[in-house]
Amino acid sequence: MDNSNPYCIKMRFPSDLDYIPPVRKFVAETLQVNHFSPKFAYRSEVIVDEICHNAIIHGSRTMDAMVEIDCKIFPDRFEFEAHDQGGTRDDLDKLKNAMNKTETPSIEPLLEKRERAGLGLEIVRLLSEDVKLEIGENNMTTVRVVRKREDV
Amino acid sequence: MESQIDLEYEEIKGHTNTKLVRFIGDLDATNVETVLEKICNLFNDGFINILADFKKLRYVNSTGLGILLHFSKSAKEKGGSFKIANVNENVYEIIEIIGATSLLEIYDEIDDAIAALK
Amino acid sequence: MQGLKIQRSPVEYKPDVLMWKLEGAMDSDCIDLINTEFNSILEMKQNFLVAEMSNVSFVSSAAIGQLMGHRQTLVEKGGDLVIAGLSFDIKTKLTLMGATKIFKFYNELRSAVNAYNWEIEKKAENVWLSFPPELQFVPSVRQLVSRVARQKGYTQRDAFRIETIVDEVCNNAVEHGSEKAARNIDLTISIDRDKIQLEVVNASDPEKIEALEALSKSVVKTPAPKLGDKRGRGLALIKMLSNGLDINCSTEGTSVHVTKLREE
Repeated sequence: MDNSNPYCIKMRFPSDLDYIPPVRKFVAETLQVNHFSPKFAYRSEVIVDEICHNAIIHGSRTMDAMVEIDCKIFPDRFEFEAHDQGGTRDDLDKLKNAMNKTETPSIEPLLEKRERAGLGLEIVRLLSEDVKLEIGENNMTTVRVVRKREDV
Repeated sequence: MESQIDLEYEEIKGHTNTKLVRFIGDLDATNVETVLEKICNLFNDGFINILADFKKLRYVNSTGLGILLHFSKSAKEKGGSFKIANVNENVYEIIEIIGATSLLEIYDEIDDAIAALK
Repeated sequence: MQGLKIQRSPVEYKPDVLMWKLEGAMDSDCIDLINTEFNSILEMKQNFLVAEMSNVSFVSSAAIGQLMGHRQTLVEKGGDLVIAGLSFDIKTKLTLMGATKIFKFYNELRSAVNAYNWEIEKKAENVWLSFPPELQFVPSVRQLVSRVARQKGYTQRDAFRIETIVDEVCNNAVEHGSEKAARNIDLTISIDRDKIQLEVVNASDPEKIEALEALSKSVVKTPAPKLGDKRGRGLALIKMLSNGLDINCSTEGTSVHVTKLREE
């Protein structure tokens, strides 16, 4: 593995919250065996959790909907992408609003409802160097995150 | 189905309406329903003060934080409290990022939380 | 206080499950409305109902009592009424009313429908993973599969056996696969309530195909392979722990297919 030839791992799993714990732990453990620190792995685990949760809740319009993740492990950074099959206009508006917010979102929605797209993405943004949201054909959504190794 | 979390309970001498609850494992979207029911049952049994020992709580996400904030609010409404102690560095960071440190009662040690009981 | 609004519609992606969207306050004044709506549902012969209650602000004991009665009616017809999306506040109140002993609660609609597919329709779910052919990845891969099994309700013992099988198959794929090929190892998992099926595909090493074919034939065809033999010990272990083993070697790639029935 080097910067021009990263380790590439891809996974597709059902749009079901049950799969998030195994998937996020898999990513964290894989980072650790590739010499990223436990703290880096933990933060990445949280990022994977929050993004996959959003993909399942806001991007699953068919019964057989799957979430696809794409991990690239470089010596100096970790790149993570999650693709879902697109949500409703309302789902996408929520995601876009969460991405465009400049101030920290209110905690109130967490207390009153289970609406957490804003807070989940806020955590992701604060834990990573770069977060991008792309909406493609048929509202297919990709969230791309880059995290740099802290000790380089 | 749910990911792994266990709750262990212990009485606190001299505090009949207080329960020490040890959270062991991961608190996330797959198990908040179960945790909510268990803590509500404690409230229902008259334990209005909950001391949550997070020494073995490895992981929390934004859904998990939501339920912690809810416990804090519910306990206050009942005239009690939801106090947290022994929070590991990783879990604390997530609480801090979300701006919830001022909304939760967090103590270094369980003894500090017990001392703060009314 | 805002009155109750009820809308019903089949779940877009699962028409045989009916969503009952309740919004507003479920106080004692809305009992007649709930009953009228429920009777219409019975006429539609829809026995699986998800009450989506994320926008419910209040639930009276009389209203939840009515829902309990309606659930019982559906259960007697082989169906169910489950609740999704409740706020933590309302869920707390329903827990204190004892409703958690009656209803199944889900975070949101999608989880309720997924549970229906898994428990009632017994549908298989598939996971696909592609990882580099290096030994360091195998521990996290085998634990991934073990955790998926646990998450889907398999016992610790079953999950441990599945983990061992994945370990052996993936180690073989790394050790005996082509070192020159730039191709990842592909793992496909198909899991349902009764069994888990695994398929591992890796690039073949042309120099090893013949030997691998001979070895796999002898292990697959032998009813009780010996673990004492140095060669093929991993395959023998897989065979002993699983309920079906099939190996195909060709220049295109080597695929190992394993079936493990749920034992407990």
